[in-house]
Amino acid sequence: MEYSLELKNVGKKYENFELKNVSMKLPKGMIMGFIGENGAGKTTTIKAILNIITSYEGEIKIFGLDNRKEEAKVKEDIGVVLDDMFFPEIITPNDINDIMKGVFQNWDSKMYNDYLKEFDLLPNKQLKTFSKGMRKKLEIATALSHHPKLLILDEPTSGLDPVARAEVIEIFQSFIENDECSILLSSHITKDLEHIADYITFINHGEIILSETTNELLEKYGVVKCTEEQFQKIEKKDFIKYRKTKYEYEVLVEDKKKFKAKYKVDVVDKVTLDDFMVIMIKGEE
Amino acid sequence: MIGFIKKDIAVMKSNIKILVLLTLLYVAMGIFGDMDISFILPFMVVMVMIQTFSYDSFNNWNAYSLSLPNGRKNSVRAKYITTIIMILIATIITFILSCAISYLTTKSIPIEKIGFTMLGTVFGTILMLVLMYPIIYKLGVEKARIAIFIMVFGLIGVGGLLLSFIDLSVVGKTLSFLEGYIIEILILLGILMVYISYRISLKTFSKKEF
Repeated sequence: MEYSLELKNVGKKYENFELKNVSMKLPKGMIMGFIGENGAGKTTTIKAILNIITSYEGEIKIFGLDNRKEEAKVKEDIGVVLDDMFFPEIITPNDINDIMKGVFQNWDSKMYNDYLKEFDLLPNKQLKTFSKGMRKKLEIATALSHHPKLLILDEPTSGLDPVARAEVIEIFQSFIENDECSILLSSHITKDLEHIADYITFINHGEIILSETTNELLEKYGVVKCTEEQFQKIEKKDFIKYRKTKYEYEVLVEDKKKFKAKYKVDVVDKVTLDDFMVIMIKGEE
Repeated sequence: MIGFIKKDIAVMKSNIKILVLLTLLYVAMGIFGDMDISFILPFMVVMVMIQTFSYDSFNNWNAYSLSLPNGRKNSVRAKYITTIIMILIATIITFILSCAISYLTTKSIPIEKIGFTMLGTVFGTILMLVLMYPIIYKLGVEKARIAIFIMVFGLIGVGGLLLSFIDLSVVGKTLSFLEGYIIEILILLGILMVYISYRISLKTFSKKEF
């Protein structure tokens, strides 16, 4: 299998936070959803991939090339949306077109202007007059308009209304119709990821907890909702974590079928990414 | 790198009115006043360029620029090249206006004198650029302003102290052989200073993480 992105034991120490041995692989033609709570290390990982932070340990390969040694080459083929707004607010979309013509060899003004029309963005208005959602759309249009092979998107749909979000997700899906293209997509809107991500990578306190296909995660894992008495009967090795709520116990199990067979229960709920994240972060072992 | 230069020019556009107003002020002062303020436009161009650092920092452009091809090198290089181009354009405009004022009024300043004033202005603004940019890259615009303020007063103090110990007439005699090469010396010194300053800024920016 060929990979667009490979991280091997990537680490970075800060005073109050540490990214520990982060490893993941994004195959070509796939979308990877990157999830975790705020401050878990998603943005730090993305910044390491993009060399926005440089003094990290480990190895990062993009299209099979070292991202530090072959930086200029690989970045020609990467489209980026960062978490924070990043264009000077006193420039216009037309200025961005002019700027990017001088940045990317493959910049496609026609494609960019088509996206501006599709997103209803006025080309000669200063960005300070744009809403947060409009700026996000502009950033997405910019990320897509130099025919990249890899999109690295940190919260690209935050601030978008449901209609715009659906529109953007459709664009991402058609982007990966080309088997050479892939997306690493960090988002808190896990519903979107359940629909479009082929892989899910979950990071918590700077460590990768899980990285597997979305289907496997959603089909295999399950949540058992039970009383305290029922919970006491479950062996520790048969669940990953549990969470005690006001009315019941929510128990995350790795294999729904096995659990059903062993404990003779009829209902083990299908896990959602939200359930998974909440129990993994807030739950106890 | 052209894209990064275009970005700085696009950000500068918002200050174009101030620069036009200063040009008009210069013309008015040239016609009606006695004070020579021919340095004002090139000087203000540097100040406006320094303002672009604030925009870069405020709008998170620095982090994004590092995600672009050759982002680190091109960001720094573009700042220096844009500033020098802008200084030269501002100086040429001032030179033309000064010649026109001299021709159209009764002041009749010799063209050589205007040329020397302009050369001094270019050297002075380049000196500002080479001193300020590495400090801005290290400390950011706000802290750099304070650092420059301290540095300038420090240099004046040290300079004053040195002058009290040095016999200037001896220095003048020793360096008299350079007298005919002032323009060449200033140009070479300017290029050398810009190169050293650029290398320091690039090294500083290369270590920055956002």
